[in-house]
Amino acid sequence: MTLQETSRSPEPQRKADISIKLSEFEIPPMQDILLVGKRAPIGPEAVRRMVDAVSPEQYEIVRLNHEVFEAVVVKKSLLRLLPKEKLLPVVIDEGNRIASENMVIKAQVNITIQISRTVDL
Amino acid sequence: MPTVEGLISEKLYTIDPVASVGRAALIMERYGIGSLPVVEEGKLVGIITSRDIKRSHPNRLVADAMTRKVITVPPTACLTEAQKLMAKHKIEHLVVTRESDIIGVVTHTQIMSELGKYTDGLTGLNKAEILYEKALELLKKGQEITVIFLDLDNFGFINKEYGHIYGDNVLRQTALILNSLIDSNKETLCRYAGDEFAAVTNRPLPEAEKLARQMVLAHANENWPGKIKVAISAGVAGGRCSELHSSGEDSSYIVKYLVNTASLASTRAKKLKKPVVAVKAIEFNKTVGM
Repeated sequence: MTLQETSRSPEPQRKADISIKLSEFEIPPMQDILLVGKRAPIGPEAVRRMVDAVSPEQYEIVRLNHEVFEAVVVKKSLLRLLPKEKLLPVVIDEGNRIASENMVIKAQVNITIQISRTVDL
Repeated sequence: MPTVEGLISEKLYTIDPVASVGRAALIMERYGIGSLPVVEEGKLVGIITSRDIKRSHPNRLVADAMTRKVITVPPTACLTEAQKLMAKHKIEHLVVTRESDIIGVVTHTQIMSELGKYTDGLTGLNKAEILYEKALELLKKGQEITVIFLDLDNFGFINKEYGHIYGDNVLRQTALILNSLIDSNKETLCRYAGDEFAAVTNRPLPEAEKLARQMVLAHANENWPGKIKVAISAGVAGGRCSELHSSGEDSSYIVKYLVNTASLASTRAKKLKKPVVAVKAIEFNKTVGM
């Protein structure tokens, strides 16, 4: 190929495809429970400040003495259904199976209360 | 005696709790420092050290990486006090505060390096400055103090006859013997100078005299290389320092006076060929002017 032929070849066409996905931003963006790993990019203080800013008084932060997690952030409304002494060990135990201390795990929790009552007729 | 104030650098760097760990690391690297006091609205809320930074993600807030329990010292704290505090809390940085104002940070390395100047290189014992400091500390607490002064007999002869290396070994071994007999909660031992050792204690005079006798006896029973005879004489001075206080003299005068009295008593012990001569300081004060 000569130098003259090269100069005649057409310029490559450059195009950009734009794809947009729009959805509603969840407020707060953390659902029911967050498990904060000890070496996660955000710590409990950052979470506290974020939660206080976006959902004041809706979440409680519990600091932990745990090998993987430093803190757990839990929606207060869940704690009205189940005391944290009952709820958190279960969530932490399950989170511990999949998490490392570098991670922040978000958990969606559904609690169903089953009640059966008997009354005298 | 030096205090931590002498070790504080002129420029103090602090950081806000909502700054990132990455920013803290940058400041530390730029200024060659190992820690930053964390200050929020003028109040000390934590300290972030290079150790905290190593185990934290750089994106974290300083508040999520810092050590919340900050150990502080006043600038007037002596170096040994600061060193004990660091050992107790297993930390390497102390924040120096005057009332609620932060005035600096001192590190373990700085303190150990400074303290090294007050440690005798041959025996590993304290130098005399530490003894003076401890004696003053005890007097400030209102305790009576007693000084035991020990002087090796004919040490010049040992050096000349057996050589200085042998003489150095005698000094080292003497330090080990004396150190094994003291209770570090009650006594502070030092190599005072040359072939002289001294200890300050808060034991009353009769008990200190007993300790001095144990020291001389243990020294005499030591198996010295070449089976040569190495002896040590002791002078003990103490008792009723409160009467010296009331004479209007300051505490450092009392310490110097007791050291001097004990050293003269050790000389007297040598002359009288007694192992120990004990002197009640106030009585001695009446007979010997300084």
